[in-house]
Amino acid sequence: MESCVQKKKYLAKDYKSELKPIWCPGCGDYTVLNAITRALAEMALPPEEVAVVSGIGCSSRIPAYTSVYGFHGVHGRALPVATGLKLARPDLTVLVTGGDGDGFSIGGNHFLHACRRNVDLTYIVMDNQVYGMTKGQASPTTAPDWEGSKLTPEGTGINPFQPLVVGLASGANFIARVSASDPVNMAQIIVEAVRHPGFSLVQVLSPCVTFRPEQAVWRDTVRTAVVDYTDDAARAARRLMTDDGFNVGKVLYKGSRPPYRPEFEVSEGSIGELEARFAL
Amino acid sequence: MTVQSVSLTIAGSGGAGVVTAGSLLLDAAARAGWYALMSRSSGPQIRGGEAAAMLRFATEPIMSHDDSFHLLMAIDWDNITRFSAEIPLTANSLIVGDPAHGDAPAGLLKNTPRQAALPMSEIAGTIENGRPNMVALGAIAAMIGLPPAAMRIVVESALKKKGAAAIEASMAAFFAGIDAAKALPAIPRLPAVAVDTTPRWNITGNEATGLGAIRGGVRFVAAYPITPATEVLEWLAPSLAKVGGMLVQAEDELASINQIIGASYGGVPAMTATSGPGLSLMIESLGLAVAAEVPLVVVDVMRVGPSTGIATKSEQSDLNIAVYGLHGDAPHVVVAANSVADCLFTTQWAVHLAEAMQVPTLVLTDQAMGQARAILPKPAELAFIGQREVAAAAVEGQRYKRYAMTGSGVSPMAIPGTPGLTHTADGLEHNEFGTPSSQASDHQAQMDKRSRKISQFNYGDHWADIEDAEVGAGDTAIITWGSATGPAREALQRHADAGGKARLISLRLIAPVQPEKMAEALRGITRAVVVEQSHSGQFYRMLRAFYELPAKTLSLHQGGPLPFGPQQILDQLKQLAAGSA
Amino acid sequence: MSEATPQDQPINSLGVLLAHALAMENDAADRYGELADQMEMHRKKDVASIFRRLEKAEKKHLVELEELTAEMDLPHISPWDFKWGGESPEAIAVDRVSYQMSVRGAILLALDHEKQAYGFYSRVAAQTSDSEVRRLARQFADEELQHVAWLEEWRDKCGPDDEMPFDDPDPPLSQE
Repeated sequence: MESCVQKKKYLAKDYKSELKPIWCPGCGDYTVLNAITRALAEMALPPEEVAVVSGIGCSSRIPAYTSVYGFHGVHGRALPVATGLKLARPDLTVLVTGGDGDGFSIGGNHFLHACRRNVDLTYIVMDNQVYGMTKGQASPTTAPDWEGSKLTPEGTGINPFQPLVVGLASGANFIARVSASDPVNMAQIIVEAVRHPGFSLVQVLSPCVTFRPEQAVWRDTVRTAVVDYTDDAARAARRLMTDDGFNVGKVLYKGSRPPYRPEFEVSEGSIGELEARFAL
Repeated sequence: MTVQSVSLTIAGSGGAGVVTAGSLLLDAAARAGWYALMSRSSGPQIRGGEAAAMLRFATEPIMSHDDSFHLLMAIDWDNITRFSAEIPLTANSLIVGDPAHGDAPAGLLKNTPRQAALPMSEIAGTIENGRPNMVALGAIAAMIGLPPAAMRIVVESALKKKGAAAIEASMAAFFAGIDAAKALPAIPRLPAVAVDTTPRWNITGNEATGLGAIRGGVRFVAAYPITPATEVLEWLAPSLAKVGGMLVQAEDELASINQIIGASYGGVPAMTATSGPGLSLMIESLGLAVAAEVPLVVVDVMRVGPSTGIATKSEQSDLNIAVYGLHGDAPHVVVAANSVADCLFTTQWAVHLAEAMQVPTLVLTDQAMGQARAILPKPAELAFIGQREVAAAAVEGQRYKRYAMTGSGVSPMAIPGTPGLTHTADGLEHNEFGTPSSQASDHQAQMDKRSRKISQFNYGDHWADIEDAEVGAGDTAIITWGSATGPAREALQRHADAGGKARLISLRLIAPVQPEKMAEALRGITRAVVVEQSHSGQFYRMLRAFYELPAKTLSLHQGGPLPFGPQQILDQLKQLAAGSA
Repeated sequence: MSEATPQDQPINSLGVLLAHALAMENDAADRYGELADQMEMHRKKDVASIFRRLEKAEKKHLVELEELTAEMDLPHISPWDFKWGGESPEAIAVDRVSYQMSVRGAILLALDHEKQAYGFYSRVAAQTSDSEVRRLARQFADEELQHVAWLEEWRDKCGPDDEMPFDDPDPPLSQE
């Protein structure tokens, strides 16, 4: 909306670091970096009050490309790091970035429980259906008949993981799918995701130009979802069951489950009381 | 002086209430002014299995169980022989059983202990709501000299919710047991003690660990339940809440360790507690904490391994994984508690070390000390509080270097929320800014710095407990660590009572190694025995790798779950002495 | 892709037009800079230099605009509320570039976007009811046309080598 009150003090580039990405030109992850920085600028969050946490993978390189506080951990463990950080520091805005392998394969259990625990995090998954950092192996979201990897020359033969279905069933409080071909829409959805309390899951269809060049057609395959979000998980589930994975651009589900937010109680100085219980 | 003590075991099957009886006895002994140590053993059942409470009482502080038990009070015989290895009996021991349950099984009689009958169920049957375990307690109290008044206070407190009738029924059964004990043979009795003004505590090793963490400044704990570490967490959950902290139950150990990494990165001192299987899962992320320089504490309450091993029993066999388990060159700190009380000191110290050096610090305790409950002198107040060197404000015109080269190797850490100091902490090798780097020079510089910060740190005298026999150290040492320290201390005392000289060196700081301090501690020592509860002698091998040991050094090592008795270690001392003659 | 059709809405206030112009030049300068960085990171110096020159040109526009609007209180418009819908017209979509693109390919891509920018200002000029907005929009459109002309000139100068997509015989590498 247009408004004459100029609260904005930040530009997208204020959230970018000096470090230049190593991603291949054309990679969808550039768009995601752009969308995240634009969303942060739009929310005018001071960079020092934001943290981006990631695991391992191409997309997990994002923290170092931002000028906010970043943590680049080990493969698959971004969500627990972010959970600990957000619980310990509820004053921070915490984003988690990563790929489909990091989030749904090696980190699959954390994904289930992050959705279930519903800590106030925004999880942006760049789904390119391939492991890029290790030269293009099948990921949990790869189609069963994809024969592009020497590791699975005849395809995996395994049905792909359905991140949004699993996220919904596990209790994610906000679910959306966006396309890397529309960074502006992505920024808008990220703003909504950050502002929505609890665990927000944003799946980004983010093509891998090097190992999945055929994904270039995604730009034309994706279509804006025809219906607006629902707050009814059952309706959202039915939509996902008939979804071909290319409905993008809108929030699918917004729940109202209260976030997991145990408070640090302020009652310092009672270590003596704890010790007194041991005294005879 | 060797401790004047009495050791006894109460055993029985599900419903016999032996664990409750043991706790009541321990509490009553505390009321009577005694010191005590209690361990428990049980069958594999979740409920209703056979159980044994092993207790030792003395009028002075005690560090270890004895070599054998004076009394086995068996409320029934169901499957009791599963404990026979854990309850060593001699010809002087006394087995008291209930004739209603028949004769003692042959498995208990190998060393021909004395036997006597106490019709516990029959006596209990004469009292409305009387229970055999209270009859047993009465008999025990009479035999060991425990004043009934102490038991009344404890029973009243324990049964307050059940009402006066329940208390009177229990006490009636207790007094009936005292009467019945007149017919029983004697076992050692402890003298009545004058009211002891020394402040004493009733605490388990796992509780002491939790308290040490809180005293050290830990305010965030994430953990996954695992035997025998769970009680650390159960104690911490409500206790943290009282001091402005929190405990999160994580989905697995991978999550536990990474949650505490996140919390600590956020500036809140953090810890997890686990056992061997959980530690194995945490190893990769411990390396992350080394590389990203995130302070944290991981407590490993060791149990018998490998794999699931024996979850409920003790072993000192996680030393190797704690010291060497991380891939790459990953300098970190490993400390070990050597008694129930020391769980407090060592954990508190560990928080201090972790925060001061921004390094993951492992605390090794074990099932034997973790789940043991002791009546002990109140532990001293310690000054250690975790103090992290924090980068508080941006320097004009300078980009913040998270991993700046410093003399100490410790780089001031910016806590999220601090303007102008944003950076990305990284498990990838990095330069001073934290920017990923595959340059040999950056790797070398960062490795040097991470190594320097723990090798140059001043650990003071806490690296080991060094104790000489009253008559002096002579030329002989016992070198040990962890739970093996208790029986080693008692062996040293007995050795001294017999006029022997020796020195005890119990290492608290396992890594980084302290060769110079060890050389000082071993000055004049020509003979040593290394004592540890590990099948492969992990500690001995580590000592051989990093320290100059006396030419004549014996290795006394055995796997769990049976603890060392003091006599086993004393025998080694004698063997060393004989060898020199 | 966005279903809203802000393209059809006229701009009738100078502040709104300038806010759009600032955002467009800012986005274009940023994007050309990012693309230049990407190509430099991948040692594609020729393509990088095209994007770098365009970045400089856009930055020049940006500075002029910033001077023009320095004392003005412009409205804040969220990225998704601009009247071009979606990404700003002058910013090359990041998924349109490629590691193996030729110099000529880069020029053609930039040409597309400069023409889009021209098209945007022309439409604003045609649709507006405000004469000052019309005057300025036409001026901006003319400036974009200059960029189009430069690019067409560069395109025509492209030698045969510059037209060939870059061929890399080495396979991609493993990293983490």
